[in-house]
Amino acid sequence: MIDVQNLTKQYAGRTAVNNISFQVEPGEIVGFLGPNGAGKSTTMRILSGYMPATSGRALVAGFDVFHQSLDVRRAVGYMPEMAPLYTDMKVKEYLRFRAELKGLSGLAMRKRVGEVMELTGVNDMRRRLIGNLSKGYRQRVALADALVHRPKLLILDEPTNGLDPVQIRQVRDLLRNLKSKHTVLLSTHILHEVEQTCDRVVMIHQGRIRANDTPENLTRKLRSTTLLHLELEGPGNLAEKLTALPGVRKTTEEKLIVHPWRRFTLRVEPEHDVRDAVLELAMKQKWRVREMHRQLPTLEDVFVELSMNAGIPGDIPTHVL
Amino acid sequence: MRIFWILLKKELHSFFVSPVAYVVLALVMILNGFAFRAALSVLESAPSEGSIVSWTFHAMWFWLSYFFIFPLLTMRLFAEEKKLGTLETLFTAPVRAWQVVGAKYLASVIVYCVLWLPSLFNFKFSSWISAGQVEVPAGAMQGAYLILVVMGMFNLAVGCFASSLTSNQIVAAIISFTLSLMHFLLGIFIMVVGRKISDSIVDVVNYFAATEHIRIFTAGLIDSRPLAYYLSLSLLFLAFTHHVVEFRRWRP
Repeated sequence: MIDVQNLTKQYAGRTAVNNISFQVEPGEIVGFLGPNGAGKSTTMRILSGYMPATSGRALVAGFDVFHQSLDVRRAVGYMPEMAPLYTDMKVKEYLRFRAELKGLSGLAMRKRVGEVMELTGVNDMRRRLIGNLSKGYRQRVALADALVHRPKLLILDEPTNGLDPVQIRQVRDLLRNLKSKHTVLLSTHILHEVEQTCDRVVMIHQGRIRANDTPENLTRKLRSTTLLHLELEGPGNLAEKLTALPGVRKTTEEKLIVHPWRRFTLRVEPEHDVRDAVLELAMKQKWRVREMHRQLPTLEDVFVELSMNAGIPGDIPTHVL
Repeated sequence: MRIFWILLKKELHSFFVSPVAYVVLALVMILNGFAFRAALSVLESAPSEGSIVSWTFHAMWFWLSYFFIFPLLTMRLFAEEKKLGTLETLFTAPVRAWQVVGAKYLASVIVYCVLWLPSLFNFKFSSWISAGQVEVPAGAMQGAYLILVVMGMFNLAVGCFASSLTSNQIVAAIISFTLSLMHFLLGIFIMVVGRKISDSIVDVVNYFAATEHIRIFTAGLIDSRPLAYYLSLSLLFLAFTHHVVEFRRWRP
């Protein structure tokens, strides 16, 4: 559905998107994840035919985004960031205008506008001026607009931005239901959303793709960073003995909490569960253990790590991916 | 073409739901009233060669309204969409740039024509109320309204272009006002100064002097040269507008 090859976009000397390539298969929901300014919106604008790329190629629904822009725009339902709308129009009026622009007409148009208003929950607001709607409703009107011509591909730029938790859940359910009929590419900087909605995650940071996998796989790979928190009491260099256990990559001793208790954090290899070994060692050495806690990292950790790692491209710590 | 009509309908809708069209309409009606009254008092004071039509469009009041109309009608066309960000929604729908530019321009021309309708009533009414004493020559009427529409088309194209340059409506209004005024003053200025230099300069300047066009057309003379001049300049400015709007799509 989407085929992006070596896409680059530069604005006045700044590279917003740097040589990215990725594919989206029909029927997938793909999450575009990255901190603000990572290049998500730029990529989506290029894919929706709004602006050209500096170099590289992008095919959407089999059409080139630059040379066959009109065909691309017919195949795509695009919802821009911040959901810009004509504030002087009423909801129904606006959606009818948009539906007509996108090629629907007559009774079919009216019926379809009724459907999308029902689907996105703006039916009660259909006679209201868009300028008087709350952010949440505007967002939904923009979503209804993106859906109205039954596009093969939905490109949604931060669809849940500015919504309250209940509305976010509604949008998420809506997207799940749309899956059978549409392919969805959505951007967000909220991880939770991606984990719950998307089949695949494309992580982008500083204009480059840092990861492209299912949320499950990403989390599994992350298990390599499993942390084990220990609080125990014993003499001598405990860290050295703990590190000697098979599977333990590194041990750090944290600051004393209550004397004589000592706190350690162990970085453990992905396939190892060292809890038994730690206990056996403790019993053999006659250490006292009062806490042991294993921490499985979430996507959040990768995200934070990626966001903090403002360094050189490809500079993702190996223990993260 | 279907897309063009849909866009035109939407643009007309935005004109008439916003107060702008009505405010401008009221302003033009008031100023027209003054212009008409000025023309009547000229005719009353002494016998005159000119008709009520030509005196109306020579009144200072007419020119006052003339310069305010164009910036007010065109300033929001593109600037507002840029500000709201709706240009992005608009151009990710299957529309072409010329359809958008054409629809916005034609909508402003239609609203502009509507603005002059009440002034027609002034002339009809004066002729009726004075039982034909005030003569309203048909040729002068046709000429006057023809040149009004054509001059309007030129200035609206300039305003359209100004609006496409910026996301600030005030800036758009100032650019369009300045360009229209410069065009007008060029005609006046060189006509005044030119007489001191040589008469042939005056002949050249008359080709683009708006006051001269009004003078000829309100006398009932329909000259094709000003028509060609204004229409081709309108097309030029619309082409500029199209390029400015489309530039986004080509900027690497």
